[in-house]
Amino acid sequence: MPTPLLLLSDLAAWLLFLVTLAYACTASRREHLRAPWRRVRQQPVAMVAAVVLLAHVGITLLDSLHFAPQAANGTEAEPEPLSALDFVLTPLRTGVETSYSAPFALLGFDRESVLQADGRVVREYPRLRYGGAHLRDPAQRGPDILQRGAIGAGAGALAGWFLLRLLWPAQCRLWRQRKDDPAGRAAALTLLLLCVLAGLGGALATRYHVFGTDKVGMDVLYQSVKSVRTGVLIGTLTTLVTLPLALVLGVAAGYYRGRIDDLVQYGYTTLASIPGVLLVAASALLLDGVMTRHEDDFSSLIVRADLRLLALCVILGITSWTGLCRLLRAEALKLRESDFVRAAEALGVRGPRILWRHLLPNVMHIVIIATVLDFSGLVLAEAALTYINIGVDPGMESWGNMINAARMELARQPAVWWSLSAAMLWMFVLVLAANLFADAVREAFDPRTREATPSARPAGT
Amino acid sequence: MSDHLLQIDQLCVHIGDQPVIENLSLDLKRGETLVLAGESGSGKSLTALSVARLLPAAAQIRAGRITLGDTALFNLAEREMTKVRGARIGYIFQEPQLALNPVMTVGDQIGEVLGCHLKLRGKARQQRVIEALAAVGIPDPERRAGEYPHQFSGGMKQRVMIAIALAGEPELLIADEPTTALDVTVQAQVLALLKAEQQRRGMGMLFITHDLGVAWQVADHLAVMQAGRVVENAPRDRFYAAPEHPYSRTLFAALPKLEPQAHTAPVVHDQPLLEVRNLAVHFPIRQGLFKRTVASVKAVNGVSFTLQAGETLAIVGESGSGKTTMGRGILRLLDLTDGQVLHRGDDLRQLSSEALRIRRRELQMIFQDPFAAMNPRMLVNEILQEGMLAQGIGGSAAQRDARVRELLVQVGLKAEHGLRYPHEFSGGQRQRLCIARALAVEPRMVVCDEPTSALDVSVQAQILELLEELQQRLGIAYLFITHNLGVVARIAHRVAVMHQGVIVEQGPVNQVLFAPRHPYTQALLAAVPRIDA
Repeated sequence: MPTPLLLLSDLAAWLLFLVTLAYACTASRREHLRAPWRRVRQQPVAMVAAVVLLAHVGITLLDSLHFAPQAANGTEAEPEPLSALDFVLTPLRTGVETSYSAPFALLGFDRESVLQADGRVVREYPRLRYGGAHLRDPAQRGPDILQRGAIGAGAGALAGWFLLRLLWPAQCRLWRQRKDDPAGRAAALTLLLLCVLAGLGGALATRYHVFGTDKVGMDVLYQSVKSVRTGVLIGTLTTLVTLPLALVLGVAAGYYRGRIDDLVQYGYTTLASIPGVLLVAASALLLDGVMTRHEDDFSSLIVRADLRLLALCVILGITSWTGLCRLLRAEALKLRESDFVRAAEALGVRGPRILWRHLLPNVMHIVIIATVLDFSGLVLAEAALTYINIGVDPGMESWGNMINAARMELARQPAVWWSLSAAMLWMFVLVLAANLFADAVREAFDPRTREATPSARPAGT
Repeated sequence: MSDHLLQIDQLCVHIGDQPVIENLSLDLKRGETLVLAGESGSGKSLTALSVARLLPAAAQIRAGRITLGDTALFNLAEREMTKVRGARIGYIFQEPQLALNPVMTVGDQIGEVLGCHLKLRGKARQQRVIEALAAVGIPDPERRAGEYPHQFSGGMKQRVMIAIALAGEPELLIADEPTTALDVTVQAQVLALLKAEQQRRGMGMLFITHDLGVAWQVADHLAVMQAGRVVENAPRDRFYAAPEHPYSRTLFAALPKLEPQAHTAPVVHDQPLLEVRNLAVHFPIRQGLFKRTVASVKAVNGVSFTLQAGETLAIVGESGSGKTTMGRGILRLLDLTDGQVLHRGDDLRQLSSEALRIRRRELQMIFQDPFAAMNPRMLVNEILQEGMLAQGIGGSAAQRDARVRELLVQVGLKAEHGLRYPHEFSGGQRQRLCIARALAVEPRMVVCDEPTSALDVSVQAQILELLEELQQRLGIAYLFITHNLGVVARIAHRVAVMHQGVIVEQGPVNQVLFAPRHPYTQALLAAVPRIDA
């Protein structure tokens, strides 16, 4: 029996997911929270982006269910823990070649010495062990790809349609009449498209290396999919570190002013004037040292990598709360002069309660805007930091690691372009979706961009 | 050339699917002033904006014609319309603070209009700018033309706005509540200036106001609007002598009149509820690297008075006189520089912070803007219970709920309104909610800071009635801060007139308002626009 295994980052990911669900439940009951989300819901672009983001969240959550597989009989070494996603992607994970191979290639990228049947040794491009191994005649590759692709896409479309029926029956039933909800239709189409892509990928990836393989023969598509979790976790968990700091310190500084304000301001000005990269580098080295000294506690590779990921989130969070804190302090300074805060003071309401009941709910729109806007920046920061080797563990799949590993190979002739391209393409899709979604959220929540709406209720007492 | 300057014919404007102006027809002759009067939301401003074709994006003109002289305005292309605005139509907005560009000098802003419409350049333009400023009564126009809007006072800014509107020598001047943001003494000056310029130039003026007193001062004709329609359109004298439409009559009835009224004086006790001695609030002006205090603004500078239980003391003064600061200082919502505030014999400045917190139960406040005074993120229920929770009174949750329902009924709302958010209520209803919030902790004294100045006159009358009724029933004392002398006559027992941080005159209401002794009080009373019909 495989035993479930809960890594720290898994816990954080699921907790975050549950918190978001809880927020959704609260928001759906409160009109002032529901109204801006309804405006987001009406924008086709935002809905397309939301579906893409949700797909990434789905991959992340699936990749955050780890278990330790049973040790194979006779082997001493404990097997590395796997995630549910690894299990689904077993053919990709285990289909390891010896070295580089191009997308959809049948032959390796480098010549190797191959022992012929008659005993001769020939330098040639060897057939891949897995990529297209089912083909007897290399000439059949084209038709085979088309056939498999068509079947996969068809199956994907069918699955997508059923999924849509299951999740969103209204969108199917009223397909023809539904001219009034372009956003919903765009979302449904995106979902369908994603299913078709997944079907296509599923059908082809089991027989070919769709994005090729890397230096040690790992499937690049597998790496890209696994990197989603790293990117999404860094984008969201960092915010989890940022938020309490920025919220509590920013609002308290703005409300209490005086000493507290001075302290907080000095704190963030100091922090903001130290280059972030230095802090990240220092803490990465520190963590490395700690892990080397306590080697026994970090037995498995995945636990080490997980800890480094969390450490990166924490340190990125510590270096990036200052901007939001400044915004929240300014907003709190404005709100503390408002009549409703004065009325609460006149009623004898205590300071902490005023912070909690009057200030916090009124700065939440800033928090939501900042969170969504920061996400894409953090995903990109991960890639940049990992590229200079102070980001996530080198053994962990991440877009930064993929780019880092691929940079030397670009100089080869012919170039190994696929690792880099796959990482860039995927990151581009995620960040673009996040940015478009963030734009829509900002527009919906920012009171300055909201146009004046006539009051629904006629005036009069 | 006909003598009809502006004709509005069957104008219909919609916001979304809601009609906001319906079949509106108006007629303005050259050299005359037409006043559009009505309460907020009646469509006065939208009508004026339609004439200049400056409606907000959400509003759409569905039908109608507007002709200025011989030009049908709706047939013009936007490019041609820009030549009409400024050159043929001058526009004055309510808030000069917002209508002037803070980073341009006043002279440049007038010069811009001259450059666009009269094609004046260089010396000639500068000359005209100075003439324009001199014409609106700004002293030392050569120097003032080079100054920025923040260097001008409110009344001076509105004069600059008038200079800008008149610079293009328009045939039609639209003035949208031009004096609402100004103090009464300044209002009187600006009204006189507008009227004089209109007559000198023979312009037509479309004047928008909610104040029938102001309307009397400027109008030749008067059109009363209600809910997007003109309900009455008559020459001034006929209108004021005998308003025909019932709505016009309710407007008149709701107008607080500056007339002596019989008040039952409250019983005088040995110990007053509140005694203020030499109260002073100074705000330090800090400058330099170490934020040294170099001077201070003496917002309130030695004020003394007493307030009896169940009595209403009105504090009257113009903006900047320190009346709001004083109200907040008494409630210890800001720090006092000097003086004593004795509440039931205890000096509020000497009380410990916890004792003061408990004492707050007896001292409450109602604010000017009911839209800003309630947290938009809280339900009415939560807002009304907040004070009870903070003071630890009101018993169990069920008892507090019952108390909230009782309070809502007491201020004239429905018991089930507790489950709504503040934005679901109109301005008057919100002010009722604010009153209920203050009442929830059973105060002995309430500081009312301009509680009706953001409201329409008919709503104002209702709120004043509610406050009076609550006073009679619960024996609450009010410290009523206002600039509106009509309201004072209506509600106060005694009056204190504040000017530049000190009380210049105080006494019983009928004595101060109808036999004022201090010159400032006399000037204030003289500036109130009166209807002498």
